Amino acid sequence: MQESAYFTKYTPTPNTWDEMFGADAQIRDHYQKVIQYLGAESIEELNKKEDLAKRLFMSQGITFTVYSGDEGIEKIFPFDIIPRIITGDEWAFVEKGIKQRLEVLNLFLKDVYSNQFIIKDGIVPADIIYSCPHFLREMYNVKVPYDIYVHVAGIDLIRDYDGTFYVLEDNLRTPSGVSYMLENREITKRLFPDLLPQCGVRSVTEYPNILYKNLLSLSPRQIPNPTIVLLSPGIYNSAYFEHTTLARLMGVELVEGRDLVVDNHKVFMKTTTGLQQVDVIYRRVDDEFLDPLVFNPSSVLGVAGIMGAYRKGNVAIVNAIGNGVADDKAIYSYVPEMIKYYLNEEPILKNVPTYQLGNPEEAEYVFGNLNKMVVKRTNGSGGYGMLMGHAATQQEMDEYKAEIIKNPRDFIAQPTISLSAAPCYMQGKLTPRRIDLRPYALVGPDGIEIVPGGLTRVALREGSLVVNSSQGGGSKDTWVLI
Amino acid sequence: MLSRVASSLYWMSRYIERSDGLLRMLKINYASSQDTIQTFTWEPVIRIFAGLRNADEIAALGNDSRSVLKYMVLDRENPNSILNIITLARENARGVQELISKDLWQSLNEYYHTVRGQNIAFLLEKDDPITAMDILIKQGMLYYGTLEITMERGEGRGFINIGKFLERGIQSVDILDTKFGSIDDNPNLLTDTSYWKHLLLSLGGYEIYLKTYRQGFEAENVLEQVVLNNDFPRSVLYSVNHIQRYFDKLKHESNMPEFRDLSFLIGRLQSSIKYSSVKTIRQDGLHDYLTNIRSELFKIGDALNKHYFAYS
Repeated sequence: MQESAYFTKYTPTPNTWDEMFGADAQIRDHYQKVIQYLGAESIEELNKKEDLAKRLFMSQGITFTVYSGDEGIEKIFPFDIIPRIITGDEWAFVEKGIKQRLEVLNLFLKDVYSNQFIIKDGIVPADIIYSCPHFLREMYNVKVPYDIYVHVAGIDLIRDYDGTFYVLEDNLRTPSGVSYMLENREITKRLFPDLLPQCGVRSVTEYPNILYKNLLSLSPRQIPNPTIVLLSPGIYNSAYFEHTTLARLMGVELVEGRDLVVDNHKVFMKTTTGLQQVDVIYRRVDDEFLDPLVFNPSSVLGVAGIMGAYRKGNVAIVNAIGNGVADDKAIYSYVPEMIKYYLNEEPILKNVPTYQLGNPEEAEYVFGNLNKMVVKRTNGSGGYGMLMGHAATQQEMDEYKAEIIKNPRDFIAQPTISLSAAPCYMQGKLTPRRIDLRPYALVGPDGIEIVPGGLTRVALREGSLVVNSSQGGGSKDTWVLI
Repeated sequence: MLSRVASSLYWMSRYIERSDGLLRMLKINYASSQDTIQTFTWEPVIRIFAGLRNADEIAALGNDSRSVLKYMVLDRENPNSILNIITLARENARGVQELISKDLWQSLNEYYHTVRGQNIAFLLEKDDPITAMDILIKQGMLYYGTLEITMERGEGRGFINIGKFLERGIQSVDILDTKFGSIDDNPNLLTDTSYWKHLLLSLGGYEIYLKTYRQGFEAENVLEQVVLNNDFPRSVLYSVNHIQRYFDKLKHESNMPEFRDLSFLIGRLQSSIKYSSVKTIRQDGLHDYLTNIRSELFKIGDALNKHYFAYS
């Protein structure tokens, strides 16, 4: 095998699971073919491919706009051309684990919004649930079709130094990024002709079809062509590109709140020929903005009265309202117990150990070991408002501690997990960078389906453990092999 | 179809049509400014396209070709600059991406990035401005071609075409009104063949004119061609006929009372143009005649807004 200069310089990060390099500094089998292919390319060729990727994202408008003054600048989410590869066995394990977890989280949501056996049996303390801002009393005893609350989930997985998968977060509200899973694959097809079939990479293109099939099955009206819409906050939303992509791929109407109106507990959209009844809404608007009559009264993104229509069962909403109680970071630590409680099974995917700062004993331990901890807000996302103990200064820690003491229930702490690393192409050479994995699971009346793939996010800054795009993260195409 | 979507398609189309007309106008006027020994005036172009009606504002802009071009193409302060128009067209398209073809979205997106690129600014400032116009006109042509080949036939395309021809009709009327208006101030222009030649060139009607009229450039013939020649794709009659044609196709997707209301407006305008001649236009007074057509076209736009696009 001919190895180019950019390749031989690769030094794996110590004490970290490297996706490409095994313990004996050998390239793992599933990376062999890709490395052979890359080895045959010159640095100039790879630079050209990197450029091509950028141009393709730009010309397709897969961009987000950053405003500075009145000048809008179009930016693309950074994309690393080297794919992240997952073996068939690893995938089978992950798939099984996610299915188990989602089954339980759906049971939990149904329970917590109806009989609350799990509280009565003392598995999850009532105060943890009732103090969660995403627990919505408005959802109590609302019957949802097929008892499915989570239709679309993007569970974040990471791998510790020994390669063990851990669940970092359950995203059960409006997980985004699936369009990048689809687009990254399209780009890879152009960058590395013939490589995908040679390596035996499984296809991800079924995603929109499965989602559509599931949405169709939820229609409250038994009619041949129910109206399905995707509700978006509009063109200024950072995920707008994703909304249009999904609407296009499913062939459904993309609507904004102002396109919808509720009359007599039914939802209608305003068309050129008058009002047309809407049956299923795949919404990408958060709970609190959905109905100004019930939630945030100043919201203009939602539809007045939609909650009433939902309660009556005249419209199906995906994901269900109130799911935030199940992906709250404080409730997360009870998921292993939930799995035992509802299914009498051992959890397949591990949880990262989590300390509740609302609990004085655990808080004391955390404060004593703050430099080994990651502290997060229980309702935060996007990598904002986190404290990375190993990188923080004493002053930062003290300030953060003061914040925690004001409202301990809002915080959890986890030991720093190092995240696995994968090779990235940077300035002419391969360099390891930390990654995570977000597979997208779809839950319908026929069961749980997960397209083989997902979004691999990369912390592009050297040594960084934060992969969120708002914090300098990028993404990779994610291959699942047969 | 969602009202918002119909409205976005209609405006996307109007903006692109406007940019096409404006670019052709700028290109020919710039060329003609290079061909004039006396001072060349940009005033009519600014009057038609920049929305500046006030003489002071127009004077403040100056008459230097490059600065006028920069103002008309790249100035953010000018609401009708190509940059702003294309940005608006793209914003409208962005909101209806799932409805237009992916190719069409990409062509508009590329147009947008081209206008904002450094190349255009450089060409306008330091190099050959005609190359800049040509690059942009070509982007517009790519849009038209992509639309023709990839866009689903149906309601959406109906609104796109109505927007296009409404904009085109208004443009042709505006250009005629301004150009003939200048004669009142300067009667010599009436017999200035290069004046009429440039008008025809900027409307893309020069070759048709040569084939139709063999006795050189005369104001009345120009008027006849731009208003009444149904074989000339930028004539007022052609535009109104096409509004009628595409509106008719919406019949099955419309509520009857609203459809009739608009159909009446369009039909009335169509007849009033069809059954006029250069002679009757002269009797009515050209300015009044054009003003009437213009206000009828605006009424059609208002009615569309009221019956098809309104949110409530």
